[in-house]
Amino acid sequence: MSDLITVSRLCRSFGSFQAVKDVSFKVGRGEIFGYLGANGAGKSTTIRMLCGLLQPTSGSAVVAGADVARDPEGVKRRIGYMSQKFSLYPDLTVFENLDFFGGAYGLSGRALRSRIDEVLDELGLRDRSRSLTSSLPGGARQRVALANALLHNPDVLFLDEPTAGVDPASRRDFIALVRRRVAQGTTAFLTTHYMDEAEYCDRVGLMVAGCLKVLDTPSALKANHVPGALFEVRTARRGDVTAALNAIQGLATIQRIGAGLRVRYDPSPGRDRVAESALAADPDAVVEAAEASLDDVFRAVVDQEAQ
Amino acid sequence: MSSALYAVMRKEFRQMTRDKRMMALLILAPTLQLFVLGFAANYDVDRIETATCDSDRTAASRALRQGLLADGTFIDVGPARDCRRPGDDIRDGRAKVVLVIPDGYARDLASGRTADVQVLVDGTNPVIGRYASSAASTYLNLVSARRQLPSLAAMSAAAGAEIRVPTISVAPRVLYNPAMRSAIFMVPGVSAMVLLIVTTIATAMGLAREREMGTLEQVMVTPISRSELLLGKVMPFVIVGLFDVLLALVVGTWVFHVPVRGSLAVLGLGTCLYLLSTVGVGLLISTVSRTQQQAIMGGFFVMMPAILLSGVMTPIENMPGWLQPVTWLNPVRFFVEILRGVLLKGAGVVDLWIPFVALAAFGPAVVALAVGRFRKRLA
Ligand SMILES: Nc1ncnc2c1ncn2[C@@H]1O[C@H](COP(=O)(O)OP(=O)(O)O)[C@@H](O)[C@H]1O
Ligand SMILES: [Mg+2]
Repeated sequence: MSDLITVSRLCRSFGSFQAVKDVSFKVGRGEIFGYLGANGAGKSTTIRMLCGLLQPTSGSAVVAGADVARDPEGVKRRIGYMSQKFSLYPDLTVFENLDFFGGAYGLSGRALRSRIDEVLDELGLRDRSRSLTSSLPGGARQRVALANALLHNPDVLFLDEPTAGVDPASRRDFIALVRRRVAQGTTAFLTTHYMDEAEYCDRVGLMVAGCLKVLDTPSALKANHVPGALFEVRTARRGDVTAALNAIQGLATIQRIGAGLRVRYDPSPGRDRVAESALAADPDAVVEAAEASLDDVFRAVVDQEAQ
Repeated sequence: MSSALYAVMRKEFRQMTRDKRMMALLILAPTLQLFVLGFAANYDVDRIETATCDSDRTAASRALRQGLLADGTFIDVGPARDCRRPGDDIRDGRAKVVLVIPDGYARDLASGRTADVQVLVDGTNPVIGRYASSAASTYLNLVSARRQLPSLAAMSAAAGAEIRVPTISVAPRVLYNPAMRSAIFMVPGVSAMVLLIVTTIATAMGLAREREMGTLEQVMVTPISRSELLLGKVMPFVIVGLFDVLLALVVGTWVFHVPVRGSLAVLGLGTCLYLLSTVGVGLLISTVSRTQQQAIMGGFFVMMPAILLSGVMTPIENMPGWLQPVTWLNPVRFFVEILRGVLLKGAGVVDLWIPFVALAAFGPAVVALAVGRFRKRLA
């Protein structure tokens, strides 16, 4: 068995509210698994159950060989966790934080010191070791949190919105660091609501209101879960074009992007109908077929849910 | 020592020493409080404001008044404003005592009749009231007895035989605190109180703060054991508490002249057991609090009765019978007994075996209860 995470029919309720409903999936060794969903979809609740921090209401989950309900401490020894809120001590330096958490994982003395040096090097934090974590910029802070999660060489890394609120360049750096780790055999489970981040995952699960709606590789999701055809319309008269397009039968979604509109039209192919209406409203409009993105998958799945 | 326990202690010390306000709260505040409260919690009663209403205006009446004011227990605030209503001076707070000498005092004495003297006492504060009325009675009885002596002598001369009047001579010898200064009694009590407040609140808030900040979640996801985590969090406060006791001893002996008659080792042992109890109570409070605010509320909810039922302010023997057994659950009570016993009487562990056994049971029990209640899980 090379599955490092096996989740079956996992549920969690808070009172009468079901935050996670009947979720099942598997994650293999060396995989980056992404969990995509809006705020309140149940991503953190799932991750906390997998980390042994929350008792499942029903169902089961086995992480790195340990059952999260029966052996949460066994799970904790084998995983690293970065919570969605920065949760290292702001009044301690980077070194002091790592020194403490390493100790909590049972490391001590020279072994601990050399592990701290290794992760600081790996994440480019050498010169930050004596800074208070509260004084670090967002990107460096996230890297310290990652360093902390890697101290004890875990088999599985759980990252809950690890790059929330960080600038795009730092986000790319961060993902690159995670991918490097995964290339060395660690398994990563991350949640995000950035679509571009989800693109880097081997497989992506889409969560809507506590349910895992779809789960596949990003390319398969884009191929199979965006019904109809996608177009981008560049126009200076967005209002007129929108009104005209809205009158067409079979128009699934229409959304504003940069300098124009993104349109999904189902039944496909309907390029002629879209171009016709758009040009009627604005003769200078340019209509082009567009590639499906994970964002489109997300919208299509949420729309389908709403119907 | 397990490396995880040591890691938690190291981290707590780093955070504590970096936080200037925390250091002030832990070291400076207890010392200052002891200094101030040591003076404030003073039950030595003297300088009781006394007005006089002398309607007799004779040498005898003036002598009576002078005598009452002689030793400083009562101080003169002058004549009462209206002798028809001598209580007015007490009602408006001008005097705590009014001595009323009626017209005819000297005449009655001279003719061998009973002279009526009235002493009005403000009983609002029972400590002062009781002390004032007993001091005034003692003095007036003495005057009365002195007055009888010449008559007795005259009687025995007239009878031609010596009349024997049996008397009891009382010479109380007060042990341990011969001057009966209340500071010597109060300072150990106040130290126990201050130590309770500081260590209980600090530990109760510590865990709640981590819960609020989210750092506890990151700690809970490590395989650290509950006892390593909780003991690691409270041990630094025990050490700081020991340091506070040392400072309290310095202030107590230098400023308040509290004697140190017993062994410091016995005191140290008692303090360790007591601190284990106070931080254990703090931990227990923090396991039922979600926020720091709740922890503070919970702390005061527990500390108020612990202080009032400790014998620091009022003797436990004076409490109603049904209430006294409650004090057996109160570590402050036992630590005060140990402090007073060791400092004032030079008592040892054997003399104080009851409070020692009680604290040795209470501390570990409450810490174990807190560890048992603590869950390494969210929600
Ligand atoms: N401890 C809790 N008590 C009650 N409700 C909770 C608790 N934790 C999460 N929830 C609720 O469960 C839902 C899912 O939350 P969460 O898993 O944090 O979502 P996400 O991480 O996807 O934003 C939300 O509606 C949230 O309010
Ligand atoms: Mg979340």
